Amino acid sequence: MKRLVAGILAATMLASTAACSSGNTNTESTEPASSTAAATSDVTLRIAWWGSQTRHDATLKVLDMYTKKTGVKFQTEYMPFDGYFTKLNTLVASNDMYDIFQLGGNFPTYIDQIEPLDSYVADGTIDTTDTNKGYLESTQYNGKQYGISLGINSYGIAYDPEMFQKAGLKEPSTNWTWEEFEKDCMTIHEKLNIYGSSKIEDFFAGGTMAAPQFNLKETFFKADGTGLNYTDDSPIASYLAMKQRLVKAGAYPDPGAISEIKDIEGDYLATGDAAMTWVASNQFVALSKAAGRPLKLATVPRIKADGPSGISLQSSQMFAISKSCKEKTEAAKFLNYFVNDIQANEVLLGERGIPIMSKVRDDVKSKISDNDKQVYNFIDTVGEIADSPVILDPKAQPEIKDLYMRLENQVVSGKLSPEDAAKQLRSGAEDIFKKGASASSSN
Amino acid sequence: MAKNTGGNSLKLKKFLNRDNTVGYVFALPFIIGFLGFTIVPMIVSLYFSFTNYNMISAPQWVGLKNYVRMFTEDNRFVNSVGVTLKYVFISVPLKLIFALIVAFLLTRKSKAVSVYRSVYYIPSLIGGSVAVSLVWKQLFSTKGLINNILHSLGMARISWFGDEHAAVWPLILMAIWQFGSSMIIFAAGLTQIPASYYEAARIDGAGIVKQFFFITLPSLSPVILFNLVMQMITGFMSFTQTYVISNGTGDPNDATNFFALYIYNQAFKYFDMGYASAMAWILLILISLITFIIFKTSSTWVFYENE
Repeated sequence: MKRLVAGILAATMLASTAACSSGNTNTESTEPASSTAAATSDVTLRIAWWGSQTRHDATLKVLDMYTKKTGVKFQTEYMPFDGYFTKLNTLVASNDMYDIFQLGGNFPTYIDQIEPLDSYVADGTIDTTDTNKGYLESTQYNGKQYGISLGINSYGIAYDPEMFQKAGLKEPSTNWTWEEFEKDCMTIHEKLNIYGSSKIEDFFAGGTMAAPQFNLKETFFKADGTGLNYTDDSPIASYLAMKQRLVKAGAYPDPGAISEIKDIEGDYLATGDAAMTWVASNQFVALSKAAGRPLKLATVPRIKADGPSGISLQSSQMFAISKSCKEKTEAAKFLNYFVNDIQANEVLLGERGIPIMSKVRDDVKSKISDNDKQVYNFIDTVGEIADSPVILDPKAQPEIKDLYMRLENQVVSGKLSPEDAAKQLRSGAEDIFKKGASASSSN
Repeated sequence: MAKNTGGNSLKLKKFLNRDNTVGYVFALPFIIGFLGFTIVPMIVSLYFSFTNYNMISAPQWVGLKNYVRMFTEDNRFVNSVGVTLKYVFISVPLKLIFALIVAFLLTRKSKAVSVYRSVYYIPSLIGGSVAVSLVWKQLFSTKGLINNILHSLGMARISWFGDEHAAVWPLILMAIWQFGSSMIIFAAGLTQIPASYYEAARIDGAGIVKQFFFITLPSLSPVILFNLVMQMITGFMSFTQTYVISNGTGDPNDATNFFALYIYNQAFKYFDMGYASAMAWILLILISLITFIIFKTSSTWVFYENE
């Protein structure tokens, strides 16, 4: 019996050492089995991104193409948006970052982990001759290039033109107002007995965009992410009051119905239960595919028809290289391939946003359907009316966004007046900033 | 030299053959897991609870600030404790009553009993899963089954997860529905009660109701105590259901913002790891306190056969 135990113990130990050693070499490489590729390389890059299944498929295919071309292998991690930043922060805490990782407008949060790309841009490893200064600036911070944008997008309102026609409404213009939006919602609800609009990202529509719409000199957050930068609470209050009226009339889903929307494919516009919805322009293709009927894109309504649009073109996301990456030049070469290679982008098809390189953009545009081309025209339109600076998300943004949504729910349920909600938003947000400031200043 | 190694291997053999060694080897997987996944994280979280830590920069010692903030500045925290207590205090007793009734009904001597027990146990097996929460969300959605039934009965549709007064009830109902594991334990307890007690009672003229209250309940009280404590702890740690149903927000208006969910959001959404750790310790203290109270009062209502 005891001998048996000793034997088992020995076997276990052997097995565990074997497991350890194989653990090190076990990479989920995307290298194809038939890799008799000419180029060989023992470089392996760990790369991570978030997105939908469409994005995963396309990105994996491009990585595969790159492996075939150069021999550089990839260890991939991809997931939906929800878990991505949780995972990323855990890796930061354990000092085990990916080599290349996708980031959005919150990249300044990770600034200590990101390798600036200026030297790679200067020596031509990353070729940026085909884009313009504005697009490069969208991923800069304090004058340094922290990533290369994988696409440009902007917020907009997707709508069903046929439903508008049925309700006897004219389609939105580029300078329509929230007042018109509300009237349209009410009319659609009365005539067609559906929601006027599906879920609007209220924190953007009635918060971060409302501030510059009301006064072009102001923004919701300060550019350096240390506090609020708007003086008048009234535009936020009047937006919340509008939401209250719309929900009360049944022209907009109540919070319960909103929480039933699982993803962009399950949006009430896609299911035919609403005539409008809020989108980031790169989601439009997926949305119209899910809807299965022609949709159009309008710009976000303004506060005053002759007032500012409050819109900006932004980088939807970027790839960044981590400071801990051992093969930074290889990573930079890959980044260059990802944004500049025509064939790669014919696979990616601008799903992350409109490509910033003009040759790539023209090629991709020629390859897509007329419906998908709308996004390009939309971005052109937004480019003409954009008047507000891109403000990157401060660390406190998720908490302030939640605060905004809680206050809005209280307004909608009639527990709080819109004016009080706007006041509480300001004081609550300032508290959150104060808490954050004491944390970072003590570092 | 050769002699020496021979001596060493003999020593090793002797060491491996000792009874204690064997015992520890068998317990080793648990010990590793317990140290690595319970004790060490607990100590680390206790340290973090006195710091300001966002996972990205190094933790900063702030003393008791996190604990003070919880009780003086954070209304959401106070609300989440209230919501959780309401959930636990309503769902746990109802669940136990339900489990006891079903277990009592299934003590008849019939071949179908084990089938019924298995069937009733299924909800507990799949209880904490995301899939069930999604099904529940669908059932209570605006156009879901429950609302369709209400509608066909001529009642107004209820926005279950949009109305802050209604939102917690589907969650409570879901907890009660998962009565299976308590039921199995009750059933086991019921079979332990000697039939002679009932016989004697019947001879003395006691009806079913009297038998239940004067024989079944007292005899079963240790099992009730066990179930009560276990289910209460599970209730306090309830997370998946509300995370899935409210999309991780605790909406509407924090009505389903359970303690565990709020800890999670502070930790992994706002990245206030220090504060979240402090809340986790308060949760531990709260659960211990209530368990302690239950045990203290148990001497008045729990009867052990050897007393």
